[in-house]
Amino acid sequence: MTKRSTIRSVGALALVSALAFLAGCGGGGGDKSSSDNTGGSSNGGKTYPVLRIVLDSPDYMDPQLYYTVEAYQWMSYVWTGLVGYTHKSGPEGGQLQPYLAEAMPKISADGKDYKFTLRQNLKYSNGKPVKASDFKYSIERAFKMDSPGVGFFGEIKGVGGSGGFAETKKGHISGIITNDSKRTIEIQLDQPRGDFLYILALEFAHIVPTGTPASDQSTHPIPSTGPYMLKSYTPNRGFELVRNPNFNGQIPTIPKGAPDRLVASIVSDPVASYQRVVQNKADFDFNQVPNDRLPEAQNKFGDQLRIYTNANTYYFALNNKIPPFNNIDARRAVNYGIDREAIISGIYGGLGRPTQNFLPPGYLQYKKINAYTFDLAKAKQLVQKSGTAGQSVDVYGPNSGLSKQVTEYLAGQLQKIGYKPKLRLLGDQVYFQTIGNQATKAQAMFTDWYQDYPHPLDWFDVLLNGNRITQTHNNNPGNVDVPAVNKEIEALKKEPNLNADINNRWAKVDHDLMVTHSTTVPYMNISGTNFFSSEMDMSCYSFHVVVYWDWGVSCKK
Amino acid sequence: MATDSATDFTLDSAAALAADEHGAIEGRSPWLLAWRRLRRNYVALAALALFIVIVVTCALAGPYAKHVAKTGPNVGHLGETFTRDGQQVQVVSKGGFVNGKFIAGGIPVGPQLWHAGGRYVFGADQQGRDVAVRLLYGGLNSLKIGIGSAIVCMVFALVLALLSGYYGGWVDWVISRVFDLIWAFPVLLLAIALGTALAINGFHHFGINIEGGSLWIPVIVISFVLIPYVARPLRGQILSLREKEFIEAAQAQGASPLRVMFAELLPNVASSFLVFFALMIANNILTESGLSFLGAGVQPPNPSWGTLIDDGSDRLVTAPWLTIIPGIAIVLTVLSLNIFGDGLRDALDPRAKVRIER
Repeated sequence: MTKRSTIRSVGALALVSALAFLAGCGGGGGDKSSSDNTGGSSNGGKTYPVLRIVLDSPDYMDPQLYYTVEAYQWMSYVWTGLVGYTHKSGPEGGQLQPYLAEAMPKISADGKDYKFTLRQNLKYSNGKPVKASDFKYSIERAFKMDSPGVGFFGEIKGVGGSGGFAETKKGHISGIITNDSKRTIEIQLDQPRGDFLYILALEFAHIVPTGTPASDQSTHPIPSTGPYMLKSYTPNRGFELVRNPNFNGQIPTIPKGAPDRLVASIVSDPVASYQRVVQNKADFDFNQVPNDRLPEAQNKFGDQLRIYTNANTYYFALNNKIPPFNNIDARRAVNYGIDREAIISGIYGGLGRPTQNFLPPGYLQYKKINAYTFDLAKAKQLVQKSGTAGQSVDVYGPNSGLSKQVTEYLAGQLQKIGYKPKLRLLGDQVYFQTIGNQATKAQAMFTDWYQDYPHPLDWFDVLLNGNRITQTHNNNPGNVDVPAVNKEIEALKKEPNLNADINNRWAKVDHDLMVTHSTTVPYMNISGTNFFSSEMDMSCYSFHVVVYWDWGVSCKK
Repeated sequence: MATDSATDFTLDSAAALAADEHGAIEGRSPWLLAWRRLRRNYVALAALALFIVIVVTCALAGPYAKHVAKTGPNVGHLGETFTRDGQQVQVVSKGGFVNGKFIAGGIPVGPQLWHAGGRYVFGADQQGRDVAVRLLYGGLNSLKIGIGSAIVCMVFALVLALLSGYYGGWVDWVISRVFDLIWAFPVLLLAIALGTALAINGFHHFGINIEGGSLWIPVIVISFVLIPYVARPLRGQILSLREKEFIEAAQAQGASPLRVMFAELLPNVASSFLVFFALMIANNILTESGLSFLGAGVQPPNPSWGTLIDDGSDRLVTAPWLTIIPGIAIVLTVLSLNIFGDGLRDALDPRAKVRIER
């Protein structure tokens, strides 16, 4: 499961497996437009009346359903789970803290049993008490609603297999045992998974009151446990957050929040949203500043612009199963035949960093790969050597925006190195679904990946583990399947800690897949923009590895 | 109808014609009379000349690309430089992070006219492709589609109108209901839906195989959705002509239905047909541009004036030439065809009021 950037919608479900709690590992950070300084991480507890933001449409306003950054960035202060992220910039932000749980769980030696105890006197925004059984209800609600996040819970006992809750959606999940009077929650897994606590930090595991209807409640705000509550949401218009009157600092590990109110207006056109902020009609532009306006933003409003690179990788998937890219020399040729710097500079206006790694920088497992220097002559030689010259290649990509342009670039380069590319551009809504279907037989394609949580399993297991290739909704559209690497990924899943040795093994997986087998063509870690009005005090700017701009610790002049 | 407009002119009277021919009135074919009227309409002729210039210029796309610009329409030059007045210039400006500082880049080079030895005369796009080369190839594609779809549309519309108007009865009912069905959809929405559906996988039915990226797809889509708009007025004319005495006379002499349709009726709607044809080309070029702009017409990386505008729409502030230049090309082409079409209408049938109205 993942967040994909261009369409910010859900890819196919992925079940991620590993053993026990892992220390946080950051993914990127924010850059001041004129330097790499990420700024402070705290506003010193200051508050201000209202924060006005403009953004593209969020998908839902229901914790078991929403899966876009448009929703997550704001709702992470509304609904909360047993654990959550430390609100600090830099790699520290990837570390988990107890939120509704009074402490981090006790985990059994075999890594299959997690025991939590809820904090005392927890209340929802409507004043009703938070019960241990609400957690179980929330997870079951996710299944009943066919939430995009249910894949993450597949290894809880009683969920999978024939007659499991995922199939029947009847009765209860046997692997979640709660006791309301003792406030205890026990979660039993069929097999250990090291990233399970990260999964519990996902929005899909956030707690809602028992009895909340198992249907989209976006427009009927669900009582919340965080420092804010959703007051109203009108699709395609906007939403408003106000302070949760019953929060009272009940989760000491989450900031109390700076603005008393957050008013969000949905403006999908990035030029219009940029103008709103320029004119001080809004305080924050969620949308990417259009490349066309970037020079102006940088020159005129440089102090209000922040550029960040979060944990993402943009890559061309090459179908390793079918000609011509079932030949390693053909795949190497593409790696040599694309000019990563030129793509970023020309198409993305410089907003990105070239990469040859699959794992983004910022991860402790990241070891920079520098194996391919742009060399068209060498690429042509490799194509000739592979015996695939002149073959037709179906190149797939989205039919709009910069993704379209970069797909056109790929097709152009394939032509230059000796292939006959055919561009097949599809609408955003069907794109990933189409290339994830084996029947499509896509040979080369645009794709990207944004982390769900900072762990290498969210990259290699979900995207490049050959054991997880599916006929439809395939998250591995390049059909990367290297048996030795698959075996190593499966072995690493069972490792409970990310020590130096394990990190090196993950780095080797990256190297083996990208260089030794040249399975894929990663080219960029894209950068994003945070653009603020002149009313915001940028000294409080804090960029969080998962939440992005941490508005809860912002301040105004 | 004669008007005071500078672009209109008067209907030749017999006296005027006689005076023109030194008093001798000779038989003149309707075509010759039309040509005489047209040749006095200088605005229409200038428009025709402009259109011919545009067509010829676009037809020279290949030689221009090969011998002047020395690059193809789909060849990108990202990351490359070219020589301008002895200096190396980036085709697309570099950007990115230099020593931690962000520099906005990605701005393609602007029109160089002849300062770069024939390269980038109208600048480059974001892929570093030569806009002038793409403009010519795009024009060629737009013209092919505009003219091709006008031919296909006019031929089908004419045949259906003849069948419907001549036979009447159930034939007319069936054809008219099909027109109603097509007419029930907003024309652009129907074209977008068809274009999008066919753009990827093409058309592979009834023994016809057209690949998704083929120019035939927009030709077929545009001609299909516009058939009723041409066939309806033609059918109306034919329904009226069918009742005329000369048709009765032809039938009385034993002329077959085919002969009546094509030898008697067709010449009588030929003037409307020609006027429609000129206006349809202009209309179809506009439709194609709209469809291509929306991604439902010509498929990238092939250029058309619509796709060029689409490609440039992300760079309206920093590279306005990307949209302005193809926009001007569309305006000039459509304007020239519309003015010439109006002139042709006035020349062929000064009393007619032929308009493509949606």
